[in-house]
Amino acid sequence: MPELAVEGLVHVYRQSAVRALDGVDLHIAAGERVALVGQNGSGKTTLVRHLNGLLRPSEGRVTVDGTDASGMTVAQLASTVGLVFQDPDRQIFAGSVRAEVEFGPRNLGRSGPDLRSAVSHALAATGVAAYERANPYDLGQSRRKLLALASVLAMRTPVLVLDEPTTGQDARGVARVRAVIGEVSSEGRTVIAISHDMRFVSEAFERVVVMRGGRVVLDGPPSLVFAVSAWDALRSTYLEPPLAAIVGDRLGLGSTPTDAALVDRLGGR
Amino acid sequence: MGRPGPSAYHRLNPLTKATVATVTAIAAVALGGVVGPIILAAAAVLSPALVAGVLGRLARLSLLLALPIALSAFIVNLFFFPGAEQVLLRIGPITATGEGLRFAIEILVRILAISGAVTLFYLTTRAGDLTVDLERRGVSSRVAFVANASVQTVPTMVERASLITDAQRARGLDTEGSMWRRIRGVVPIVGPVILGSIAEVEERTMALEARGFTRPGRRTLLWTPADSARQAAVRWGLVVGLLALIVARVTGVFG
Amino acid sequence: MTIALDGVGYRYAGATSPALLDIDLELRDGEVVGLAGASEAGKSTLCLVVSGLAPRTVGGQIRGRITLDGEDVDAWPMHRLSQRIAIGFQNPSTQLSQVTDSVFEEVAFGPMNLALPREEVAARTWAALETLRIDALAERDPRRLSGGQQQLVAIAGLLAMRPAHLVLDEPTAQLDPAGTHLVAEAITRLARDGVSILVAEQKVDLLAAICSRVFVLDGGRVVLDGWADEVLADRRLAEFGVMELSTVQLSRAAAASGVAGDRLERALHA
Repeated sequence: MPELAVEGLVHVYRQSAVRALDGVDLHIAAGERVALVGQNGSGKTTLVRHLNGLLRPSEGRVTVDGTDASGMTVAQLASTVGLVFQDPDRQIFAGSVRAEVEFGPRNLGRSGPDLRSAVSHALAATGVAAYERANPYDLGQSRRKLLALASVLAMRTPVLVLDEPTTGQDARGVARVRAVIGEVSSEGRTVIAISHDMRFVSEAFERVVVMRGGRVVLDGPPSLVFAVSAWDALRSTYLEPPLAAIVGDRLGLGSTPTDAALVDRLGGR
Repeated sequence: MGRPGPSAYHRLNPLTKATVATVTAIAAVALGGVVGPIILAAAAVLSPALVAGVLGRLARLSLLLALPIALSAFIVNLFFFPGAEQVLLRIGPITATGEGLRFAIEILVRILAISGAVTLFYLTTRAGDLTVDLERRGVSSRVAFVANASVQTVPTMVERASLITDAQRARGLDTEGSMWRRIRGVVPIVGPVILGSIAEVEERTMALEARGFTRPGRRTLLWTPADSARQAAVRWGLVVGLLALIVARVTGVFG
Repeated sequence: MTIALDGVGYRYAGATSPALLDIDLELRDGEVVGLAGASEAGKSTLCLVVSGLAPRTVGGQIRGRITLDGEDVDAWPMHRLSQRIAIGFQNPSTQLSQVTDSVFEEVAFGPMNLALPREEVAARTWAALETLRIDALAERDPRRLSGGQQQLVAIAGLLAMRPAHLVLDEPTAQLDPAGTHLVAEAITRLARDGVSILVAEQKVDLLAAICSRVFVLDGGRVVLDGWADEVLADRRLAEFGVMELSTVQLSRAAAASGVAGDRLERALHA
């Protein structure tokens, strides 16, 4: 499983001259579950697009398992880093759900029984297997998002990057996404997600990277990032700490980023 | 709203600018020889472009627009002009001829003049200004809207296509490899552009309906581009002039 | 002005089963009513039915009665109804007309279509911009704004139609927290001005903050309805596929571990 590293990364968009990334250093070990948070314009989307080569650094470098990513095409990097975009309608083109999910792994050279099993597994994991022959546009918005997730899952990349996976999802959809993340992570694969759902972030990830103005302003486990000492920094990026953290502080129980952590502290454990 | 254009040419009524473009394009074809279209282009394309301050962009865009057609027309005529005898150059089985060259230049000059005229109009006129002007003159507001929206859709679609390309590349679509691979990549990109647009149409239509779009009759226009009797006279003058030119050519006055 | 739905059912054209069944709903002036439910429970369909787009634009068959202040609106054409009830959707950019270069023109689009006199168009446009606190954006290109700002422009465009009722279908679904906050604030202000609002959302915490009443849909029927804080604390929400309030989830987790108590409850509702 590869490590990802970003060193002194600067990215200036040519068209608008906006300095979206202003010197980012980040090291993500194999198998980590990392959440990337920050308001729109903080650079998180720009950052993840460097991980699969869609964007190239203006300064600094990106390495995948020690190798500089600038020597690899996007198609090559796609076999290592799978990126699921926020808007499923940006990619759906096939006539059936199954065909849509096959696209990714086919591009990576999979075929035959290997392909079939990767696709079936992805369909089952995201709960859309029952719709495999349906036209993607006959699925509701929530299931189409899960379809987009399935289409990248089937590529079985060692690194999975998700852009706002729970936005627009109902309760069941969110549960599905969390189950998928759990499964992928238990296989030792790396999961990186951009999200502004703080409950999801604090409960499903072991590391939270907060960005603002193209830089990393906080980086650590949820107990650190959602501790009261970090609230000013968080609020400056329009993020609210999870309810459990706020209540824990009111009760003087220290840093309790999740419901479970708060309940543990209440029980004196 | 209704911002004044940056130059006198910009501020001309859109219909006037449209007339200039159309008359220039047709006249370029109607005029004979090479000198005629060149003088026409200088007067009706390059000079206004200079006044409007868009000369550089005009040159780049109109060349870009004309290039494929111009190049193929030039080559076809240079080498394959029928009945030509004056040989200039031989390359294997094909021959460049003097008559071919002359004709090729004539065609080239016309294509460039037309492309320039159209580009000048595009660069100095906002789609919304033209459609509002037409509406004032009686065109149905729904037709005007469709015309305007269609033009505005193009950059949106282009942007959408590039976002979709990113998503498909992230799924391993090879856009940097062999030509064959790139051709196969067209469907996964064009597909979502079209499907996405279609899916959006229903919601867009509903949003428009919710804002009274389907109400029959005229609508209020907050602002329309200025027009003047002088501009109207110029427009008629141009059209009459064009007709006179066509008649003169057809009846052989200029040979 | 009150909208009332009485035993309303709706079936999409060509569908084998109805999308909505037996809906009884009332919307009064100045109320913010929330609509919750799982992904295909019928929230969007109900929004379309209340606004009149279903069946007028969308097709399909409707049953039951829909009245405005007691008057049946069955025969009203869309452009007449859209002056009383306006509907907004979740995608900010599809709601822009795409033919305007400034927020002012965009918001003026509706009144212009109504062929109102120029002064009236301008007055309504400024009023809508000011109500949503986006008058500073008047000259900006709507296509270059953030999602949250675009949603506000879209809502301003609807407001300029001077509707008595506003139906918003997941207006914050695609927005970040800052954008969500802007929209939530705007909704609350509008209600204070007397506009009644029906807002469908997945974010139950948001609904709890801004709604007085909430309806929960499941399989096209209303399965829960009542005061927001009661409905959103109902134990059956999970079975209807609706997320529970953060406060409720926390209370439940504490109770399950035997550590619930007054101290916790006070801290939760401080």
